[in-house]
Amino acid sequence: MAATKPKSLRKKLEKATPYLLVLPVVAYYAIFWLRPVIAVVIGSLTDANGALTLHNFAMVLNDEKFWPAFNNTAIIVVASVTIEFIGALFLALLINRKFFGSSIFLFLTLIPMALPAVATGAMWITGFTAHGWLNSLLYYLGFLAEGDKIYWLGGLEANTFKLLVLVILVDAWQVIPSMMIILLAGLQNLPEETKEAGYVFGGNYMTVLRKITMPMLRPTIQTAVILRLISAIQIWLIIVLLLGFGRLPVLVERIVYYHEEVPGLDISYQMSAGYTIIVSVIVSLTALVYLRASGAFKKEEAA
Amino acid sequence: MNRKTKKTVYKAVKETIFYLFVTGLIGAMLLPVYFIISLSFLSTREAYRYPLPLVPALQTKFEMTHGERGYLLSVYDRVEKDYQTVLDTSELEKMEVYIKSQLGTSISQEEIQAEMDRLDDSGEDSIFFTKPRNLLYNYDTFFKVTRDAVPALIRSLEIAALTILISITIGGLAGYAFARYIFKGKDALKFSVLFVRMFPGVAIALPMVIILAKANLYDEPLGLSLIYSVGAIGLTIWITASIFMGIPESLEQAAQVFGATKFQAFMRITFPLALPGLAASAMYTFLGAWNETVGAIILTQFKPTFSVVVYQTLLGASGQVNLAAAGGIAMALPAVFFTFFIRRYINQMWGGVTV
Repeated sequence: MAATKPKSLRKKLEKATPYLLVLPVVAYYAIFWLRPVIAVVIGSLTDANGALTLHNFAMVLNDEKFWPAFNNTAIIVVASVTIEFIGALFLALLINRKFFGSSIFLFLTLIPMALPAVATGAMWITGFTAHGWLNSLLYYLGFLAEGDKIYWLGGLEANTFKLLVLVILVDAWQVIPSMMIILLAGLQNLPEETKEAGYVFGGNYMTVLRKITMPMLRPTIQTAVILRLISAIQIWLIIVLLLGFGRLPVLVERIVYYHEEVPGLDISYQMSAGYTIIVSVIVSLTALVYLRASGAFKKEEAA
Repeated sequence: MNRKTKKTVYKAVKETIFYLFVTGLIGAMLLPVYFIISLSFLSTREAYRYPLPLVPALQTKFEMTHGERGYLLSVYDRVEKDYQTVLDTSELEKMEVYIKSQLGTSISQEEIQAEMDRLDDSGEDSIFFTKPRNLLYNYDTFFKVTRDAVPALIRSLEIAALTILISITIGGLAGYAFARYIFKGKDALKFSVLFVRMFPGVAIALPMVIILAKANLYDEPLGLSLIYSVGAIGLTIWITASIFMGIPESLEQAAQVFGATKFQAFMRITFPLALPGLAASAMYTFLGAWNETVGAIILTQFKPTFSVVVYQTLLGASGQVNLAAAGGIAMALPAVFFTFFIRRYINQMWGGVTV
């Protein structure tokens, strides 16, 4: 009797081990994530007097900048995730060739990822001003006549399309490295033999890439894209650094705008809470649709 | 030419083209970085010239003549390719301050006096002289003039260290559970890592002001690191799970066969093997905490982080582009330094990560 008791206790403890290990995370999320989230949800469902209402969402949907913000966000997400994925995959394939100096090349390509958003902001602001380094460079290279300047961010021809293109390029510049890291790790973990087999059977580089590498890389691609998708929908900081509030409205920029720029207004808290909930719902739905479409759930069920 | 040499030539040409391409690619990617570095070394006068000089000057050329109010100082302007008058004064201090702050050039009042005497003695209309630039002037000024830059730097380091401590401890435990055990709710928890990121971080920071204030943690480094850890823990779980999956469980079991408890086996076998990967994961967390700006703006008042100080130099009323550039570069240095080490562990960190 005395011998079995500690044994069963030990077994119980062993069974409980994984739960004990994840308990701190669950507790942490409950305190530092769930609590503020609940506060925002309540804020979005109550008016200034604390009464339950759905009026806040109606206000958000009727905000004159809501649909422009929605459209801009959608365009940025589709364009930037596509461009960034192609760029990251290209770089990852290049570095994975392990040429002489590829390790230094990898380090250099990672630098944009390491730069703080403020430094990136400073870099592009000083680049895009009319007397900035971008125009100076174009002048020295002979593309710009003396006294001629391109007004990248302003001027009369500053239309939304031009600003969107600039924002997407700047964002891609900063984000490609972090996506590339994930794809590169995936590529390096693929067994060499399968690729070699592809070549043995007469495949050229493109066929092997399309028929062997890409399908095997699928779980990694899913990871990279879903992480990027989630943060791409929440883009705002670089836009505000470059253009300030309101010139190129996006959804998360509206949250900050109502909270930080027009505080004290009766409806400012309700507006920012309403926008927050709408953004979260959009992000969750997009992630769900992507994971389902890319087959991430099927694999989960099969395993 | 026989076939063999033809093949070697073909290969050499191919390789040359490849390396030209790679160099060009890196050049294009890092061009903006070059300009911000260059800008951080430019003098205030040159930083606002157009077209902007492509490289910082190493020395400043002066011309001195007699002026209406004393001595007329002209500076060689690299854009106009000519001397331009900047100052007309007989006050040594005024001249010294101008040369130091606007031209980023080191000079002492004695040296200025010596040049003035030389002009008077020579009897000529004008004299020329050259002084070396103080290339670190912007960096020096950023840390001296910007209120709080040094304490903010220390605070930022403190916050990053606390964030690493919290997220590695809590996230690492869960990462180990993910790698070694099958348990109920594992998938749900795996997705929760994604789920946490679906709620805009800024939106969490806003109600957190009240929650932190109640706990007396508002405007405190610990408060900020608690918020940063919410995002960092998720990534740490994924990365540490990947690292632990790469270390065979059989090693631990072997240690247990020899009488070690599970905990001892972990501490003696798995932990040392995982250490490099864990360090890389910690550096990753450092990047996030060190670079974060928005949450810090919202959640600090009198104790800003270094990123907030740089942000204020960039966009604040006292903003000056070359100073902001110097601040940005100073801030980027540790982050770039860590990235240099991280690159070795990419495989270990992300290899086992899948949604």
